[in-house]
Amino acid sequence: MGIQEQYRSEAAALLSSGEVKLVIGFGPGSTADRRRPLFARTPEEAEKLVLDPACISNLTTYLVAGGLLSDGKKVAIFLKPDGIRSLNILVSECQVKPEQVVIFGYAIENNEIRPLSGRSIGDFAEIGSKIRTATPPPAVQKEAERLEAMSPAERFEFWKEQFSKCIKCYACRQACPMCYCRRCIVDVNQPQWVSTSSHTLGNFEWNLVRAFHLAGRCAACGACDRACPVNIPLRLINYRMGKEVKEAFDYHAGESSDQKPVLASFSQDDPETFIL
Amino acid sequence: MAKIGVFVCHCGENIASMVDTATLVRKISEHPGVEVCTEYKYFCSDPGQETVKRAIRENNLTGVVVAACSPRMHETTFRKACAEAGLNPYMLEMANIREHCSWVHSDKEKATEKAIEITRSLVEKVKRNNDLKPISVPVTRRALVIGGGIAGIQAALDIAGAGREVILVEREPSIGGHMSQLSETFPTLDCSQCILTPRMVEAIQHPNIKVLTYSEVESVDGYIGNFKVKIRKKARYVDINKCTGCGDCIQKCPVKKIPSEFECGLGNRTAIYTPFAQAVPNVPVIDTTRCTYFKNGKCKICQKTCQIENCIDFEMQDTFEEYEIGAIVVATGFQIQDTSLYGEYGYGKYKDVITGLSFERLASASGPTSGKILRPSDGKEPETIVFIQCAGSRDPSKGVKYCSKICCMYTAKHAMLFAHKNHHGRSQIFYMDIRAAGKGYDEFTRRAIEEDGAEYLRGRVSKLYEENGKLIVRGVDSLLGKPVEVAADMVVLATAIVPQPDAKETAKKIGIGYDEYGFYNEAHLKLRPVETATAGIYLCGACQSPKDIPDSVAQASAAAAKVIGLFSREQLEREPVVAGVNDATCAGCQGCIMACPYNAIDVRDINDRNGNLIKQVADVNPGLCQGCGTCVTFCRSNSIDLAGFTEKQIFAEVMAL
Repeated sequence: MGIQEQYRSEAAALLSSGEVKLVIGFGPGSTADRRRPLFARTPEEAEKLVLDPACISNLTTYLVAGGLLSDGKKVAIFLKPDGIRSLNILVSECQVKPEQVVIFGYAIENNEIRPLSGRSIGDFAEIGSKIRTATPPPAVQKEAERLEAMSPAERFEFWKEQFSKCIKCYACRQACPMCYCRRCIVDVNQPQWVSTSSHTLGNFEWNLVRAFHLAGRCAACGACDRACPVNIPLRLINYRMGKEVKEAFDYHAGESSDQKPVLASFSQDDPETFIL
Repeated sequence: MAKIGVFVCHCGENIASMVDTATLVRKISEHPGVEVCTEYKYFCSDPGQETVKRAIRENNLTGVVVAACSPRMHETTFRKACAEAGLNPYMLEMANIREHCSWVHSDKEKATEKAIEITRSLVEKVKRNNDLKPISVPVTRRALVIGGGIAGIQAALDIAGAGREVILVEREPSIGGHMSQLSETFPTLDCSQCILTPRMVEAIQHPNIKVLTYSEVESVDGYIGNFKVKIRKKARYVDINKCTGCGDCIQKCPVKKIPSEFECGLGNRTAIYTPFAQAVPNVPVIDTTRCTYFKNGKCKICQKTCQIENCIDFEMQDTFEEYEIGAIVVATGFQIQDTSLYGEYGYGKYKDVITGLSFERLASASGPTSGKILRPSDGKEPETIVFIQCAGSRDPSKGVKYCSKICCMYTAKHAMLFAHKNHHGRSQIFYMDIRAAGKGYDEFTRRAIEEDGAEYLRGRVSKLYEENGKLIVRGVDSLLGKPVEVAADMVVLATAIVPQPDAKETAKKIGIGYDEYGFYNEAHLKLRPVETATAGIYLCGACQSPKDIPDSVAQASAAAAKVIGLFSREQLEREPVVAGVNDATCAGCQGCIMACPYNAIDVRDINDRNGNLIKQVADVNPGLCQGCGTCVTFCRSNSIDLAGFTEKQIFAEVMAL
């Protein structure tokens, strides 16, 4: 029996026994190489679950949507390592109680699905510990290095051009599991800190605010990047913010579910380079 | 409709000389919502305040902007004036056109332009101010004094004398501090222990003082009037309630050759010990790092000797006590610098090169030599002693930049004590300046020179070496402009006073500021010298800066006066500048809870009418909140606002620029 079938039958069993109220996984998409989220509430629906190398989305986004977990009931979810990393962050930010989540873990390696053993967040400590030594995808790293080699003026021009494309559709926000606020700062209009029209200044404001809000919180899943309809390389901003946080605080977001959010916590060894 | 009154102060010439106030008044008068705008030489004066009050009454003003100095100066003054005129005091804003403008600029035209912008932005802010009411919080009338040296003892006695409870915490086995180590004290040469021990006894016997020795502050939470303090009582291994202080255990302890900290290593102590004879409380502790039982699991001779059952308990553990505290006095004292950093003085290499504090022990009647000044190396009486002042102080390259303040005086005292004990002895003192400012101080140093023959040589010592049993001190007499060489029997270094080695950690634990060295910062060097920047925490003694006994005692009494003043009220009125959470938009990430330095934020459940949990939100306790705004800046969804500095106000202020 393949992984897909094994997870399907396990998911169906969890639903029929009533242990979980919902299974969040993948179903067929609009084209042969695309998968879309599937929300299975019955064992029959669980039979439609698909698991193959096209299942690349980070489904944790759906865990924090619309008070799904406020009733205390369990939910099962298909997660690859970056999703598990996101889940760690969500747990550390009190958005998810670990006991409410059953994980169907998998990794995509050489275009093959490999199952990850364990069903609860505590079983995946190894994934967290690998973050320290992991390198970003070569394409991201290469592009990030190219940007870092630029002068600040050149870099500003680069981002100005990129952000000028932004249409303020907020797809990045909707796709991001870390954007769980009930009211986003950009929707605050008393006062209106971030202007909503999509001119370059407003676009800068929005994208930079989001980058800062993700500092030390991004699991590098790339959901924002994929969601962007105008192809702004958002991944590069988040990569850079992650690097800053790593260098300043030796902090890797999502390493474990009991790490303290880096920007909310203090330590006596924190660098004080800003004090002249 | 907003009716704002703007009052432009000249502050004599302070503002008027750099800001064209007439233009400022004209421009601001045109700003929408400004009902009245006038200028005056001193608005803080009585007639000035009257003008403000009259304008509020006559024009029914809804808000007031005083364009003058920093709010730290006169905000309270004008808040009171507003209140007297029937306006909520929080409808006042100070536009700082002095410190932020006139004082720092030299181009009048541009400074005027800036003053207009500053004032205008505050007008826009005050339009959005809300009436606020002060918050009352109860005051726990119990003080904590950290450190049982002379400063801590004095502060504790003064507070206790005013009828308030005091917890006095000392980390050593006995109270007394450095003063208990001194021989005689300048400028009157009275025996240090003779004047200190009555205070120690008074402290431990005082019904209002609870003395916790061999104890350390573990954590401090809360805020003025309402601190929660956790104290670690380190295991003494001797029951403080049972021990009679007979000393049999100390007599019988087989480990006798431990260099005594109290004697600066010039004498020995046992593994079970009291630091000195008059220790308060007179109850020994066991040094587990040296005790044979703790090292090898065998011995227990002290326990066998002790005639009281279960008095010595090898199983004793550290215990913790928690206290509700209203005010804290920090009196953690000082240490002396390690002088071995001066290789040229040979400290640590030559036994007869000692520190001033060691000399105190040699000269002390209770010391290891019973008050005879003898060389540590061979126990012989020295004939010539060289004293080197500023051995660390006032030396930016190797030591510390500051003056340790007490060394000039104690060196003169040492020379006198030596002259009194050895009539043939010579004292030669290398000095940079003689700093003897204080009542009776200069007379004292003159006496050392004129009556007791102390020889002062103005200059530095460059080298020191041993030759034929003598210490050869090479230096320069800068008044003669000649090199000098003295063959000494003993050398005494006036080492620098430095903060306690863990001063910075302690400061972080208590929540107070410190300077580059680790001395604790006062709120204002001149006007608030015993207060820290944290309300309800006060300073005294050498933890703030090097101090002698008179200064430490004076500051201790001053700190006590502040505490007693605070405790004279049952309720404390606090500024209503506190944070509030918007339940509807709070995402419950709890980041603010972690970020809050005052532990003022908690989680609150929001339930539906059937009691089912809908979500959890952050909840600010206004009694604990200090209005620092850390949570506001942290909150990603902008769900926290600070009364008096709301997002709307700040935004309006910024947009008016």
